[in-house]
Amino acid sequence: MRTIKKVCTAAVAVLALSATATACGSDSGSGSGGSDKTTITFWDNNGGVRTPIYQELIKRFEKANPTIHVEYVGIPIASVQQKYDTAVAGGETPDVGGVTTSYLANLTGQQALEPADDWLAKSQANGKLLDSMLTSVKETTPDGKLYLVPATSNLDVVWYQKEKLSAAGVEAPKTWDDFFSSVDKLTKAPDQYGWTIRGGAGSIFQLLAEAYAYSGVTEFFDSSGKSTVNDPKNVELVTKIAALYKKNTPEADVTNDFPKMVAQFTSGKVAMMHHNLGSYNDHVKAFGADKIDAYPMPVGESGKRTIVANPVDGFAVFKNSKNKEAAWKFVDFLVSKESNSYWNQQTGQIPANKEAQADSWLDERPYLKNAVEVLGDPGTTVVSPPYYLPQFSAITKADTEPLFQKVLLGQMKPQEFLDTMATKLTEAQAEWKKSHS
Amino acid sequence: MATEVITRRPAEVRTGATAPRPRRKDRGRVLRLHIPLVLYLVFTLVPFYWMIVFALRPTGSTAPVPWPITFEHFDTVWNDIGYAVFFQNSVIVGVLSLFFTTVIALMGGYALSRFRFRGRTAFMVALLCTQFIPGAMMLIPLFTIFRGLGLINSLWSLVVADTVFNLPLSIILMSGFVSAVPFQVEEAAMVDGCTRMRAFFAVVLPQLRPGLIAVGSFAFIHTWNNFLFALMFISKQDNFTIPVGLSYTIGEYSADFGALAAGGVVAAIPVVCVFAVIQRYLVHGISAGAVKG
Repeated sequence: MRTIKKVCTAAVAVLALSATATACGSDSGSGSGGSDKTTITFWDNNGGVRTPIYQELIKRFEKANPTIHVEYVGIPIASVQQKYDTAVAGGETPDVGGVTTSYLANLTGQQALEPADDWLAKSQANGKLLDSMLTSVKETTPDGKLYLVPATSNLDVVWYQKEKLSAAGVEAPKTWDDFFSSVDKLTKAPDQYGWTIRGGAGSIFQLLAEAYAYSGVTEFFDSSGKSTVNDPKNVELVTKIAALYKKNTPEADVTNDFPKMVAQFTSGKVAMMHHNLGSYNDHVKAFGADKIDAYPMPVGESGKRTIVANPVDGFAVFKNSKNKEAAWKFVDFLVSKESNSYWNQQTGQIPANKEAQADSWLDERPYLKNAVEVLGDPGTTVVSPPYYLPQFSAITKADTEPLFQKVLLGQMKPQEFLDTMATKLTEAQAEWKKSHS
Repeated sequence: MATEVITRRPAEVRTGATAPRPRRKDRGRVLRLHIPLVLYLVFTLVPFYWMIVFALRPTGSTAPVPWPITFEHFDTVWNDIGYAVFFQNSVIVGVLSLFFTTVIALMGGYALSRFRFRGRTAFMVALLCTQFIPGAMMLIPLFTIFRGLGLINSLWSLVVADTVFNLPLSIILMSGFVSAVPFQVEEAAMVDGCTRMRAFFAVVLPQLRPGLIAVGSFAFIHTWNNFLFALMFISKQDNFTIPVGLSYTIGEYSADFGALAAGGVVAAIPVVCVFAVIQRYLVHGISAGAVKG
């Protein structure tokens, strides 16, 4: 009898929980609710860190547009592509989503996005968005249309601890020769290392940024469609970087992903680190704003500044949206001068809106001002990686990251490593050209 | 003249010797048993120690001990990241999945153990085979089904999906537990006038306690840790669960290790508590369910 009583008690508890679960149940998501308000859903592609920034912007937007309600959903960055793919396959996409050029081709390939060209022509943002970012977005898609409204971009820089450089009598290097001699001077192993290598996840993009900055090669593919990744100068750079491993860098670098690399730098053991502007807030937290600075990638023997374009981050309206007008209105608001300036000030990145780039907060952050100048300098050559290739992500991650680790461990020659990557990229490019000819 | 009192330990009294042999034996036991266990314990607990250190020490500190202690990271995850809501959702989904998994596994396990019917072996093999299908492969079909049922963005989608994925192993385990209870006991109850249902509740169910605990705890922990379904079937901020919240602490260009560790502690507490309470049943439960079928 007692057992039956226990079972009944459990059943009642479960019923109560079931009622709660049902209360947290589904709703229509986007669409017009019972009131006159139009609800649109917005997926943030880097949920968590940026959530408070978007919450503030949404508050401002809803105040200015009382008939529109924006439902914010933060998607963890590591799973955003899978989330979008599942949503597209299931037909449950948001109205507006944060999208970067890294997976834009994948989404346009599934015909999930609405082109933004017509909207931009009529928008207040027309003519105000940085041309290089617009070009970079258009180059990502096979039809050359604008499916992503750029909001921000990033730049690869070398972060350094000012005190460590001045103690060693070293100035921020401008050329690669200066760089390698500085790394030597800054290394006092095992207490201090001059450099840290990203050997784990995400290593290839950083390595390519260093290689192209060193070699001055300006295209990813030559006129015959052959990858330039294994250019002799690129091989030279990879050989030099691999030679730094364990001599001027911690041994653990072979498995460094970005959190470990940033953690190593912020622990104070490493004097200089290649990352992008995005880790600024971590460095400020660890050292204070006056203790750190950044310089752009050094210039190679060619004397030309060559940078590999970072993915452009922005907003896209999805084809399935039932409230496209409200969705575009929200995008329009997000890339306006005020919103774009606020967003980039908080994240420490480069605004896409040219008017926002003139704001005074940029003057207070010299590293960011430098980055804007580098991007805007007509002498800078931007090498656009082939983000449009469906295999690009797999080639530069799963296929070649372990090979770079082999190079660091001395189990593979840099030439062989870059030849392998070049062959894969050349094949992927040929396949893509064939399917789009 | 001083009187010397010699005291001997009971073992020495019994053997009449100073007993060097047991000491050697002790040393052997320490070498074979204690040292490997301590090493294994250190290996297991060091990551937990680091998690607690990161969670409790201030941002920027590199001290190996969490001093001075701060609760700022817990405040961040609970209030800013939204763990208060995520935790509640995880508890709801975990408990409901535990309940449905246990009840259905109990019924399925009883049927497989007590009845002989055509296709029984094939059914058992089919249950085993479902274990080879990764959850990620079922994402889109499940998504489409839940969409048709109006369950997308509902916690029920997680309860259903997690229960379904927990069931095969749970049913197999439970049938082993039921087999361990002699059918004669049930028959005796029926001879005394019980119906089959009454005999089950009065005689069988009380003896299945270790099995229920083993199956229930596995279901709860599996559901509690499931990130993939929680992220894919839910697109509403207030309906996410703890594992999704945990991944919020790693951004594209930065990771808040303090918040990540504090989130890890919050996520681990219920699992540790569950294990602390049930561990004595669990060992018995797993072995009983595993060897009999």
